[in-house]
Amino acid sequence: MTISQSSFAFVSDLVRRETAMLYDPGKEYLVEARLLPLAREAGCADVDSYVAKLQTDHGERAKVLDALTINETSWFRDNAPYQAFTDVMLPEMIEARAHVRHISIWSAACSSGQEAYSLAMLLDQHLPSGWTAQILATDVSPKMLARVDAGRYSQVEMNRGLPATSLVRYFTRAGSEWEVSDDLKKMVRTQPLNLSTPFPLLPTFDIVFIRNVLIYFDMEMKRDILRKVHQVISPDGFMLLGSSETTLDMDDHWGREAHGRVQIHRPAGKPTTNTPPAAAAAWQPTTTALTGA
Amino acid sequence: MYALIIDDSRAMRSILRRIVTDLGFETLEAADGQQALDHLNEGRVPTLCLIDWNMPVMDGYTFITNVRANPEWRDITLMMVTTESEHGQIVRALAAGAHEYVIKPFTPDAIADKLELLGLVAKAVPA
Amino acid sequence: MSSLELVAPSLTDVEMVAAEVWSSFLGDEEPLLIGPPAELTVGWSAAVSVSGEWQGMISVELSAEMADQVTRRMLCLDDGPLPDEDVADAVGELVNMIGGGVKSLMPGPSALSLPVVAAGRVARPSDVTEVCRFDAQWAGSPLVISVHIQSPKI
Repeated sequence: MTISQSSFAFVSDLVRRETAMLYDPGKEYLVEARLLPLAREAGCADVDSYVAKLQTDHGERAKVLDALTINETSWFRDNAPYQAFTDVMLPEMIEARAHVRHISIWSAACSSGQEAYSLAMLLDQHLPSGWTAQILATDVSPKMLARVDAGRYSQVEMNRGLPATSLVRYFTRAGSEWEVSDDLKKMVRTQPLNLSTPFPLLPTFDIVFIRNVLIYFDMEMKRDILRKVHQVISPDGFMLLGSSETTLDMDDHWGREAHGRVQIHRPAGKPTTNTPPAAAAAWQPTTTALTGA
Repeated sequence: MYALIIDDSRAMRSILRRIVTDLGFETLEAADGQQALDHLNEGRVPTLCLIDWNMPVMDGYTFITNVRANPEWRDITLMMVTTESEHGQIVRALAAGAHEYVIKPFTPDAIADKLELLGLVAKAVPA
Repeated sequence: MSSLELVAPSLTDVEMVAAEVWSSFLGDEEPLLIGPPAELTVGWSAAVSVSGEWQGMISVELSAEMADQVTRRMLCLDDGPLPDEDVADAVGELVNMIGGGVKSLMPGPSALSLPVVAAGRVARPSDVTEVCRFDAQWAGSPLVISVHIQSPKI
């Protein structure tokens, strides 16, 4: 049972458009191997009939993209957004939230949790004493959320983008894996959430990381999701999308500020400023462990 | 910019050589810490050293302490690349003066990530 | 200390260690899979021993063809004659990394020996017991990764 030329062409085109990954002729066996379990799960007789389903079924499309993209999990992925977090977002929030001394962050489509825990590390390093922070990590997959709760990562995952000083400071060995410290785990809470359905009751967030997930949805759904995010973000809040994503063609309810090559999105209405705020009295900026991109 | 690859395994030296050459370095090799020190003492001072831990004659840990004891070699970036993966070992290596630590097995991306953290390479902007 | 107590890595841990070594150096396209135990004509094998707080031996056995493929992939060598010493280096490095991974799972401190590599089966001492055996599959062919310790004296 081999995948037809047209099915293969459809799938490789889809993957290339949405993720820039290339599946050239010759890779048919790989596509077939990765799609067969999905086809069976969806009750299709073979891969070709499953691919026919993809024309209209966006849920299945998302699964296909997942199965065919080698997930680039990494700590401090792309680096620059985390630099922007430390240099711009956090200092501004520390000034703006001085009366509550709490910062609320959402890591949407958190996957295995490296984004959430990367943010937790930065908070541990830069949040003034007496302050608290809560990161809500959500994903549609209960398996992923369990991974985030466990906070365990393989040796290979630990090698990607994590300064060695942070490794020894925040992790201990657990069998063949490494486990995140309780201090960091306390900052991260998980909750199942499907971005394409109505949101459950959520707190108001100061900072939202919704990176590299909107690509899985069509334009109408992207707009809908951004509309819903707009409802749960503070008027002075920050939203960060993936490095190649922008709200430019999607939604005019967001303003954009550039910080280096990072686009920071703010709910429209708040006056934008590119000058860093004055340091709050009780806090001094410290140098980060990361070098600037 | 040159990188000194220090590992008693020819296969590993070959793999690392390819990775760092792709990242823009020229390379020299040593099969143990003493051979590596010889390079330095003979004036071939690298920008970066990739250092295995377990080697005959002089191990990687001892090599690092020797380098850090010499102020003339203060600017050399020292990165361990080793199977030693216990928490305590990593702490020891960093305390002795290693700047970074890669646990074997690793991918080329892992080396590139670390070198980017160290400011030695600029990663391509993601598409 | 009970001589009947065997401290050994779990099969899952060994599978994970081996899979990580494989995917790092041999790519993700053909992952290391759990295979059915199969007839293996050993072309090359390699072993490392761990000594110290825990003592044991970790070995890898491959067919000659797989050793060839593994070497070319790891060292980025094209088609053409492949010197034995390249194969010995590559297979030795594989077992070195798998052995290092297993060592870190076991009680320490301990030290890893240099790998012993053979074009054929590495002879095992008569007084060792196999405590873990991973029958694996790569690119459709079988290989075996095993862990042995000193047989308990009863």
